[in-house]
Amino acid sequence: MENKNNNKKAGSKSLGAQFWKEFAKGIIISNPVFILALGLCPTLAVTSSLDNALGMSAGVIFVLLCSNIIISIIRKATPASARIPVFIVVIATFVTILSLVFQAYIPPLYESLGIYLALIVVNCIILGRAEVFASKNSVLLSIGDALGIGIGFTLALVIISLLREILGTGSLSVFGLELFKIPVLSASPMTFFILPPGAFLVIGLLLALFKWLGVIKNE
Amino acid sequence: MASKILSNKIYPLVFLTIIVLASVSLLVYINSITAPIVEAQQEAEIKNMLSGMFADMDDYKYEDEIYTIYQDSEIIGYAFLAKGKGYGGEINILVGVNEDFTIEDVVIISNTETPGLGSKITESSFTNQFRGMAAGDVALKKDGGDVDAITGATISSKAVVEAIRKAMEEKINLLEGD
Amino acid sequence: MSNLITIFVVMAIVNNLVISKFLGLCPFFGVSKKLSNAVSMGIAVTLVMLLASLATSIINQFILIPYNVEFMNIVIYILVIASLVQIVELAIRRTNINLYNALGIYLPLITTNCAVLGITLINANKGYSILESVVSALGGGIGFTLVLVIMSGIREKIDLGETPRSMRGLPIAFIIAALLALAFTGFSGMM
Repeated sequence: MENKNNNKKAGSKSLGAQFWKEFAKGIIISNPVFILALGLCPTLAVTSSLDNALGMSAGVIFVLLCSNIIISIIRKATPASARIPVFIVVIATFVTILSLVFQAYIPPLYESLGIYLALIVVNCIILGRAEVFASKNSVLLSIGDALGIGIGFTLALVIISLLREILGTGSLSVFGLELFKIPVLSASPMTFFILPPGAFLVIGLLLALFKWLGVIKNE
Repeated sequence: MASKILSNKIYPLVFLTIIVLASVSLLVYINSITAPIVEAQQEAEIKNMLSGMFADMDDYKYEDEIYTIYQDSEIIGYAFLAKGKGYGGEINILVGVNEDFTIEDVVIISNTETPGLGSKITESSFTNQFRGMAAGDVALKKDGGDVDAITGATISSKAVVEAIRKAMEEKINLLEGD
Repeated sequence: MSNLITIFVVMAIVNNLVISKFLGLCPFFGVSKKLSNAVSMGIAVTLVMLLASLATSIINQFILIPYNVEFMNIVIYILVIASLVQIVELAIRRTNINLYNALGIYLPLITTNCAVLGITLINANKGYSILESVVSALGGGIGFTLVLVIMSGIREKIDLGETPRSMRGLPIAFIIAALLALAFTGFSGMM
């Protein structure tokens, strides 16, 4: 985990420039899934379809954004010894709000995400950002950080779910609207890819690809 | 000095308590908004499913795990849940029967069967077979019944069939006992 | 009794937490490089899972359900798990320093282990009784330890061989996990 933001040095740059820096970093350079290998449970569990991946991403961005803002606001009053429990309560509160809202307004998504919606609480990405970033930086930068990391997470989930849904069902649909259907593949799809082993294989191969391309340097 | 040690120990606790209280009150407030919506939705969903089975339904009553279906205040049938253990986990089925206890229709409410194979139990080509059957006929063809199993998904098909037959026998006994 | 055995086997093998529910993947990939670490981590997780399932199902049955505040379960469960981890850590440190040295570093990680929160939520969703919850936690914990041990055994061997450069580390671990998951799908439909 890196925290390149340094308030003393950054004093010379405008706030807007800092915001964009924090925002951009999460998308590629420190993509939470592919580079940092964080938040893997939801990444594998909900990527069997594009709908689920988008729903989960929206949930994670909401919780990440809200908890980053609150934790950043209360950062000066938060005692160091009670830090982690406070973060956990803040995060759990927003996850509960999210699941209540999903249950009331988008029940099909709530059903298909199941316990993985509640498990956003223990998503290492969110607690990690609270600990490493939001508890040390201003509200504006924390928003940039949350959005960047959130979009990076979304990007990873969308790539994985596209591969899995297209290979595993031979077609692609978003929120009930069928986008396309591959003639031969949809008649006898490679169901393997929407089953658990397919999830592991797709992510393993993607990680190897990024490493081969030189995006991932370490290890 | 002593007071500083005290405040060092007490302050984190007070702070955490405040955060928890704030969280609880916020959640209670939001739940009070969403709970009625969720309830109304679940009720609408059940009503939708029941009227899909019994086109003439104008009212229903839920008692002892059985939905009694009414048309012009007369009973036209019953519906109840059946639970089966499939290949991937639990399968929940809603079974509707006429007053003469033959199947009006069955709907697979939820399942975790293998996508593309066992999950075909939800398709109407499978569920339509059950229409008009009495409890005794509900068995796979190879077991002497009238139901064609889905190719490649015998376990899932059998789970559905067994669950429906068991639930029917149980509920019909209950209804006839009245 | 047969019901309890079913819950145990389903949790440990058929619906294995790691392989088919993707819970606890961080330790699964992080701590599976050496066999001895894998065993320690497995024991620590099983212990916390058992205690957490016991505590949360008691709370669920006697507080959340009677007062109709089940919607609070996420907040309450995670607080229970976090405090339990602290208590277990303290208790082990006071009583058995050798055990503490072996398990100590893994305990703080367990708070954010999704397998622990996951199993308490699964128990609540399925409406298990207190005894059933404990059995399901035992099955889940043993299943977790089982795949962790298998995985670390394979990874120790893989380290000795020549792996293509871009596959080294995490990518090859994921591919091993895929093969392991494929093997485990053979168990589905068993119960």
